[in-house]
Amino acid sequence: MFAQRLISATRHLWRSLAECSRKVQDLRERLGTVEDIREARGISLLREWLSPEQSVQFDASKCFDVVGCDSGRRYRIRHATGTNVHEIDDAGRPVMGWCFVPSGHLVAGDVMLAQKIALETNERAALALANRFPVQVPRRTYSDAPSRRAN
Amino acid sequence: MATQIVMDQSGDTRHCFNPDDTEALSKAEERFKSLTSVGFTAAVRDAAGKATVTRSFDPTAEETLFFPRLVGG
Repeated sequence: MFAQRLISATRHLWRSLAECSRKVQDLRERLGTVEDIREARGISLLREWLSPEQSVQFDASKCFDVVGCDSGRRYRIRHATGTNVHEIDDAGRPVMGWCFVPSGHLVAGDVMLAQKIALETNERAALALANRFPVQVPRRTYSDAPSRRAN
Repeated sequence: MATQIVMDQSGDTRHCFNPDDTEALSKAEERFKSLTSVGFTAAVRDAAGKATVTRSFDPTAEETLFFPRLVGG
């Protein structure tokens, strides 16, 4: 008698756990979809405001270059929500990172668009509030160097 | 139809209005003042696609984009 009740309770418990697990999975999928929609809206808005050249570059490499309106320096804005603006030299190599973002938790497309407009219309003000960070330029490693030994 | 696009956590919110409708235009101007007074930057695009930051409401602007105040990251 006791054993039967125990078995029944255990089955009931497993059914409840399975049901909870299904609900959690559904919720995760729904939240994931909402996040995807937000991201897609941000990218769609960004594309509307990119120049044709920037749009081509963004399609190819998920980043685009802008020219600062005050200094004429070039910046590369990468697809991210922070530490994604690099000042670049004539060869396109990063020389300095500039971190400034719109306040609030915006998606990457929105962040990138705000950064683009800021640099193209009021570069000095944008850089005045930005935090600078060093960027790592890829260096040749020992293994990349041509071997001096003759085999 | 003219549009005011406000960046927010949903991606963006679009407010469309008829610029020939006095009441709608007045509401759009109120929205402009309200957003810029709390730190939003308003930007418009010219025919060539070049963005310009605007500090006053332009009733002829077809599209105005608002993004929140920039902060150092």
